[in-house]
Amino acid sequence: MSKDFEQQLHEALRPVDPEEGFEQRVLARIVQERSSTRRKVTRWASVALAASVVFAAVLGTHEWQLRREQEGLEARKQLLEALRLTGEKLDVAYQAVNREAPEPADDGSGA
Amino acid sequence: MIMKALFRHSMLVLVGTLSFCTNTFAADGQLKIPEFAGLADKAAESVIITLDPSLLRLAARFLDPSDPEDAAARAAIAGIKGIYVRSYKFDQDFAYPKADVDMVRKQLGAPGWQQLVQVRTRAEQQNVDIYLLVEQERANGLAIIASKPREFTIVNIVGSIDMKKLHELEGQFGIPKLDLEDKK
Repeated sequence: MSKDFEQQLHEALRPVDPEEGFEQRVLARIVQERSSTRRKVTRWASVALAASVVFAAVLGTHEWQLRREQEGLEARKQLLEALRLTGEKLDVAYQAVNREAPEPADDGSGA
Repeated sequence: MIMKALFRHSMLVLVGTLSFCTNTFAADGQLKIPEFAGLADKAAESVIITLDPSLLRLAARFLDPSDPEDAAARAAIAGIKGIYVRSYKFDQDFAYPKADVDMVRKQLGAPGWQQLVQVRTRAEQQNVDIYLLVEQERANGLAIIASKPREFTIVNIVGSIDMKKLHELEGQFGIPKLDLEDKK
């Protein structure tokens, strides 16, 4: 039994010459696997790059909108302040003109 | 040789004339307001407002139409191209360069500018001058120069000014009703 087994093992492990073209096939397979890995890496790098660009664009747009909103609110504040100051100075002129030219006696026109 | 010199002379005259025109009729009612460099540091209070057309448009976008003050402001700035304000208050009398203020006043002697109101109060030593730039029977610019010993304000509004809308600001920003039509 044990002799048979040894015999079988011996036969199974006997040196066998590789088939013709074995070396080329192995080398071709290695090259193919290498290029496949490279393709995968390139694909992932592209996806990561695209994601980064999209993220940067979204972040940039958000920042720009925030800045624009701040500028807009500041411009609104300045506009209201400018109109308030204009009104104040027109008021001074109005009061002075009114003091200099008192209302004529009420003639019932109801201006 | 002579032709060359004549041509050069003509070009110089042309450039000079164009430059004169540009300076005299600067940007439709926009006054050349001095820098007042360093004045903000000396002043107790200072307001420097420069609203060019793009900033005015941006400001208008942020006005709330449901707010009466904002709505009045929006109506008032329709047709206006720019608002420029310089206002300074000081702790001492005449701490500001009077010559700079007079330089702005001088610009209002240019054709088109009409003085609407001139106020001189002896008690407060207050001067207020209001000018309108009238072109083709339309007010295309407004200038207010107000000065007191301790403060001065220059307001320059550029663009088509609707006096009716200015009337409508009454009560919104403390602007009184002015009988502007009667002053013509």
